[in-house]
Amino acid sequence: MSLIFRPKHIFGETFLSLKRNFLMGFTAITTVAITLFIVGVFSIIVYDVQGVLNSIEGQVEIAVYLKDNISNDLKGYLENEIKGWSEVDSVTYVSKDQALEKFKTQNEGSDILKEIQGNPLPASFEIRLKDPQKVEQIALRFVDKDGKSIDGVDEVIYGKSYIRNLFSITAVTGTITLLIIIILLLATMVLIYNTIRLSIYARRKEIEVMKLVGATNWYVRTPFLFEGFFEGFMGAGIAVLLLYFLNKFLFIKGETAIAETMHIKNLAILGSNNIILIAYFGIIVIGGLIGIFSSGIALRRYLKV
Amino acid sequence: MNMIEFRNVSKIYENDTAALKDINLVIKKGEFVFLVGPSGSGKSTFIKLLIKEISATSGTIFIAGRNVCNLKSSRIPQLRRNIGCIFQDYKLLSDRTVFENIAFALEVIGKPNYIIKAQVPQVLKLVGLYNRMDSYPHQLSGGEQQRVCIARAFANRPPILLADEPTGNLDPATSEGIMKLLSRINIIGTTVVMATHERSIVNAMRKRVVELEQGLIIRDQKRGVYGS
Repeated sequence: MSLIFRPKHIFGETFLSLKRNFLMGFTAITTVAITLFIVGVFSIIVYDVQGVLNSIEGQVEIAVYLKDNISNDLKGYLENEIKGWSEVDSVTYVSKDQALEKFKTQNEGSDILKEIQGNPLPASFEIRLKDPQKVEQIALRFVDKDGKSIDGVDEVIYGKSYIRNLFSITAVTGTITLLIIIILLLATMVLIYNTIRLSIYARRKEIEVMKLVGATNWYVRTPFLFEGFFEGFMGAGIAVLLLYFLNKFLFIKGETAIAETMHIKNLAILGSNNIILIAYFGIIVIGGLIGIFSSGIALRRYLKV
Repeated sequence: MNMIEFRNVSKIYENDTAALKDINLVIKKGEFVFLVGPSGSGKSTFIKLLIKEISATSGTIFIAGRNVCNLKSSRIPQLRRNIGCIFQDYKLLSDRTVFENIAFALEVIGKPNYIIKAQVPQVLKLVGLYNRMDSYPHQLSGGEQQRVCIARAFANRPPILLADEPTGNLDPATSEGIMKLLSRINIIGTTVVMATHERSIVNAMRKRVVELEQGLIIRDQKRGVYGS
């Protein structure tokens, strides 16, 4: 083993080779950097959008507005019925007075308040669901076969298509992003593969002599593997650096805004569970692995030992 | 002691040309053997089989008593460390000095620096190039380059030295020098196998001659000459 890990041999050969094939190496490193940078940016965006959506989902409510003339019996019956549904997390009854009170605090100082005479606001049940995706299914229970609201209910309000769209948009964006990333990763691998192939070609005479005098296979291979690793690792390093500055000057502002307005705690950069550090670390690991993997394939094809 | 032994060795290439046919040959330790014959007679195949650059189609090859036909690929480097090789085209690295070329060969088999520093000048003295240590290959004559090649092959003191047309690119006077050098290496106990088709060299040396023709041994003669 001591023979394989000769730093002078490995590092010396790697840098000599990078110097020789500067343009190829440079291209490979740049591609890795761009690819992993995009991976990083998407990861942060996806994570944050997911956070925001989860929070919106959590806030998804069904508001069942009651007719003013509803009897207490029917109201009590409805409340018990809703509470009995397994999908329901909680039901809150908001009386006409409470609704007005809430409206007033929400619109404090606004001219609308002066316009209001009496209490035009209906009483309502505010229903929170355990699984926000079932919102439509639940809301339909307040509607009869003809599409009219059931007795005592005036109107049922919920996010409808807007909610559904949010879910499908995130799913589609996720898939497209994944595809782009896969294509970019493949391009990265091809480039690293090519630089390694070129370095093998550039050093074919040395390799021939090495094999002839009995250098071990690993001794011949290691510098090329390291070269691939180095290109992946350097690219990843640059990607992390770019990402760090992007975060520092842009993303962190966006996250601060989201955190302040929507009270979302679990964000990529500001969150307490260090998602961003995991992302940095993951990018470095992916970079290194891609490098080793690509040069490994090149070695298999072009370095018969 | 048998240094090299071929038992019923055949080599058929992928395009169905038989380079060697049922070869049986024993070369003893310390022998000097000429392998003669026209091009395409199987001389190079013989040498490539010995360093396991290619594998025999059938038969067994023993080197120092060990069957090398079933050698695992991870053990091939060990085999090659015991066989020095020299070539018609020298195969020197042009961006390295004479010293570095030889040092390189020792380095890649894991010799520590202090041994390299001691062994390289020693072997350069043996081939008579001690004062050209810092020259680059292109600054040397053909004969000198071949001496560097020999020095590199012999630096690790292998028990076997294979030479594939080592004088092919050299004039007769220079060739004579190279042959003297190979003789000296042979005298100190190294088994030397040299493939050549140069009549004058073979005739002058009066060593064992094995003649190949179309993959068959047609003559094996002690103290022989080129043509019968």
